Amino acid sequence: MDRSETWVVIAAFNEAKVIREVVSEVVRAGWCVVVVDDGSRDDSAAAARVPGAVVLRHRINLGQGAALQTGIDYALRRGARSIVTFDADGQHDANDIPLLIEALADADIALGSRFLGRVEGASQRRMALLRTATAVSNGLSGMKLSDAHCGLRAFRASAAPALRITQDRMAHASELLRKIKTSKLRVVEVPVTIKYTDHSKSKGQGGIQAVRILFDYFFRA
Amino acid sequence: MIIRILLLVGLAATGWFIFLRRNKLPFHIMTVFLLIGAAAAAIIFPDMTQDAANLVGVGRGTDLVTYLAIVVVMFVLLHYYTKFVELQRQLTEVTRELAILRGEVERTAPAAKSDQA
Repeated sequence: MDRSETWVVIAAFNEAKVIREVVSEVVRAGWCVVVVDDGSRDDSAAAARVPGAVVLRHRINLGQGAALQTGIDYALRRGARSIVTFDADGQHDANDIPLLIEALADADIALGSRFLGRVEGASQRRMALLRTATAVSNGLSGMKLSDAHCGLRAFRASAAPALRITQDRMAHASELLRKIKTSKLRVVEVPVTIKYTDHSKSKGQGGIQAVRILFDYFFRA
Repeated sequence: MIIRILLLVGLAATGWFIFLRRNKLPFHIMTVFLLIGAAAAAIIFPDMTQDAANLVGVGRGTDLVTYLAIVVVMFVLLHYYTKFVELQRQLTEVTRELAILRGEVERTAPAAKSDQA
């Protein structure tokens, strides 16, 4: 698929330190990029203004799910044919994007999987937490995925309405799986590489947040 | 008894406050005053609640009032929670539209570019 028809959506919240490098890497690869600054208190928006990237700003902090959906809506209005979600903290590798897009040839949505691929720099504790989260998500959604919470994904524009995110905060990942399941979209997992840095680890979700996420999943929207 | 005076004064203050802020239908304010009247009656004639309790099979009047209050509080909580969730959804939509519009304006009229949100 043509790279000018693929939009990479990056949701950023207080990522001024690393966002420029992340956006530059994706823009250099030739993809269309929209960064949604989710009401950051730092200079994320200014830092993300790499030539060639569109930066949108949420006036207030709404949450990652809301920011992703804003970017997705924008991409659709700009005529995107496929959409990629990419984390702002530098844990993803832009070289994995073509693999996801290729996978869309015979799927509606391609989910990155760090457990099929490679993980660098994660503690055993984090890996255990991620595996637990995956097990819980599989249980909730009735799917059998190797990695349920990877932020690196791609889907066709035609699948976007069925995948619309209503969970503003972190429960959007579980919401997505439920929507994939009920919409009967063709899903495929693609091995990707995740690099944990001290920065991305500090932004990651811990065990306590998991409780909040489960609350959102069951009691909101 | 002093407690009766305190409660009645509180009720009267509530009624006055609601009366000052009346912007709803006459029906709405009538309902509120009926409730306040019932509460005042229960304070002045406590035996009323006892009779009502006996009528519906509750041992004491105060128990009946407690049970009813719990049901009302749950209803009010649910009502406001529903409103809260709906407001949040609307806020998300407005914020999203604003962000996208601003992006479109900056793209088509670069002079408007600004990082001041």
